Amino acid sequence: MKIVLLNGSPKYKNSSSELLLADLKRCLPESAEAAETVGRKPEILETALHHETVPAEIMDKLLSADAWVISCPLYVDGLPGHLLSCLLQLEDALRKKEHPEARRIFIYGIVNCGFYEGIQAETALEILENFCEKTGLIWGGGLGVGGGGGLAMMNSPKPEKGPKAPIERELRAIAERILHQQTLENRYVSVAFPRFLYKMAAQMGWRQLIRANGKRARDL
Amino acid sequence: MKLIITDLKDFNLPVEGPHKIIKPQSDIRHCIGCFGCWIKTPGKCVIHDGYENTGIDMSKCSELILISRCCYGSTSPFVKTVQDRAISYIHPDFVLRKGEMHHKRRYRNVISLSAYFYGEAITETEKKTARSLIHANADNYDAQVGAVRFYRSVKELEDIAL
Repeated sequence: MKIVLLNGSPKYKNSSSELLLADLKRCLPESAEAAETVGRKPEILETALHHETVPAEIMDKLLSADAWVISCPLYVDGLPGHLLSCLLQLEDALRKKEHPEARRIFIYGIVNCGFYEGIQAETALEILENFCEKTGLIWGGGLGVGGGGGLAMMNSPKPEKGPKAPIERELRAIAERILHQQTLENRYVSVAFPRFLYKMAAQMGWRQLIRANGKRARDL
Repeated sequence: MKLIITDLKDFNLPVEGPHKIIKPQSDIRHCIGCFGCWIKTPGKCVIHDGYENTGIDMSKCSELILISRCCYGSTSPFVKTVQDRAISYIHPDFVLRKGEMHHKRRYRNVISLSAYFYGEAITETEKKTARSLIHANADNYDAQVGAVRFYRSVKELEDIAL
């Protein structure tokens, strides 16, 4: 069983999308023991679409996989423009007859947003679901993650504890479904961190960043 | 002023009153999530390709009109990329609106946001998603929602009054 973890962030490194895929990957081997009982040994391929075109080698990886997990940031309530462009190219490739086997691919989505409420990623997940409906791929379900802006600062040696714990639980649930090629309802989660503190921390962060760029906080 | 963002290169519909049209005139570069438009050049995107001033244009408009191919219930890559590059219209600070976290407004103008989607086979699900997207955009721009309409072809758009 081939699973492609697809980072759809335009950022080359240190993105929350990448971080969430790394967390999901950590959940997959544990679930793999369970998956062995259904005779599927997972092979995990990691790749990324940082630009508006899908390189041929990534296209091949995607079209020969059993499942894709697309992880991306919420941009203006939807998918980033460059990722939409990539989806249209994938649709074109899938319409061509040479990949009939691709119609059995399960697609899962993880959309993270800087807002506290994961539900704000609902429309972006629907867009991914509509892409599946249009192309004949199987929508496996998705996760909307709130508090994405703080994930990099919330790493814990015990992922089942701390502010990322609710996300960890959801990622484990998705990992199980991926390995068993099952679907799940879209789910939404936020960091276990008070909203007012998250808001305050973000606003302090913006002020530090603008000062680091030689400007004043009131220039924000 | 009316600000029209469209993916139609040959956009030539008559528009009443003062307006500006943003359409594909040269290659557009996508947002790279650097937040330079908030922390380096507040109000303006740091990528200089001719599309860096949309946030400022939005601050001067009373109507924002999106005319776009419907792609899975989203605006098209071009229109979405212009929107992605214009987050400087809003302020990085958060406020709570309707019980949810959104960005604070940077400017005083209240936009009326309309969208005209076209496409050969737009499904009912895509229409529902597109309406949700425009309402979510309006919530985040602290704007009002105007018309959200769907057309089967670019030719059908000729009937719309802008």
